[in-house]
Amino acid sequence: MARFFLTFVVILVGLLAAELTPPVQDAVVVPWTNALVRISAGLLTLADSHVAAFGKILQSTANGFAISIEAGCNGVEAAIILAAAMLAFPASWKQRAAGIAAGLVAIQALNVVRVISLFYLGQWNLRAFEWAHLYLWQALIMLDVLVVWLLWMRTLAPDPRMRTVDAEAAR
Amino acid sequence: MPKRPGDGAVTAGTATVGRLVLRTFLWLPLCFAGWYFAAPVLGRFVGDVAAMLVDLIRSNLVSAIEWQDLHLEFVTNLRVHPEPDRVGVLVVEVNPLLYTYGLPLFVALMLAARAKAWMILAGAALLLPFQAWGVAFDLLVQLGVRSGAAVSAQAGLAGWRSELIGLGYQLGSLVFPALIPVALWVAFNRAGAAFHAPWPAHKSGLSGVVRRGEAR
Repeated sequence: MARFFLTFVVILVGLLAAELTPPVQDAVVVPWTNALVRISAGLLTLADSHVAAFGKILQSTANGFAISIEAGCNGVEAAIILAAAMLAFPASWKQRAAGIAAGLVAIQALNVVRVISLFYLGQWNLRAFEWAHLYLWQALIMLDVLVVWLLWMRTLAPDPRMRTVDAEAAR
Repeated sequence: MPKRPGDGAVTAGTATVGRLVLRTFLWLPLCFAGWYFAAPVLGRFVGDVAAMLVDLIRSNLVSAIEWQDLHLEFVTNLRVHPEPDRVGVLVVEVNPLLYTYGLPLFVALMLAARAKAWMILAGAALLLPFQAWGVAFDLLVQLGVRSGAAVSAQAGLAGWRSELIGLGYQLGSLVFPALIPVALWVAFNRAGAAFHAPWPAHKSGLSGVVRRGEAR
């Protein structure tokens, strides 16, 4: 377990440092943040015509309320944490790639729900918005990361040592 | 179709994760409420530890800590001149809740996994330095990065130090608050043992085998 944690920390710090560099910001983080706003706006407009998206800003044209998707709200850090946990865990590259791909979808799907819920929560009550934004959703996104990681571990082939003892136990 | 070893465990493990999530959701509102009502005590404690951390990085920067509406106010020794003939000390406000919200998540996860009380208390104690890190670097980033060149120079936090402070702040605000509680939960519960996963650790692997046998 100590080896897993050490590998995890090394990969995590490397990916987070890379995330902060201008090339990665320009090529990945900013385009993704803008895409997240467009996806959220696209979904919102199915039921609400008073929604507009500008860059990383999502605004209600009915009352002027707007939210800006900033670092920490775009799901990138959560995705990095999940990817580091999967890369650090002993598995084949194919299993890791599949896990990271599925995990990214799961995290970003929940993140879209977060953005949409905060957009309406803020129009209803700013104090509730602040609570949900700063504390509650942060915890829920991390819980999502944990659940995806645990489920991914379930899909991995059992350790050969375990299978041997397992067979003995069945006798 | 012959059943492969471990097939039953996959279903059992998925259900176990589902139960964990359900129980965590049931505990979360109570834990968040408890955390919010305990915030004045917890916040002050975290503030004291953060001041000690800041003192290690830059001594004699903070002269006092005050508590105001769930916010910590760090009274610094830095002099500012809001008007040409007036002098004041710089007071920096930090919201400690931003760095401690992982505590209710951790407690909810531990209660959901039916962990022992000492583990929950030990985990809460282990969270403290990371929470203090967040508060300390929030204070340092306000002094070394956001308050302008004059303040950062007076605080001795200019140049390369401000770059390190920026990195420390990113870790303390974006990564530690949510990640450390979950990492501690994994460490305490040995996720592999608790959820039948193929965890590489020897002891947890054995535990997984026993559970697998029971599931069959």
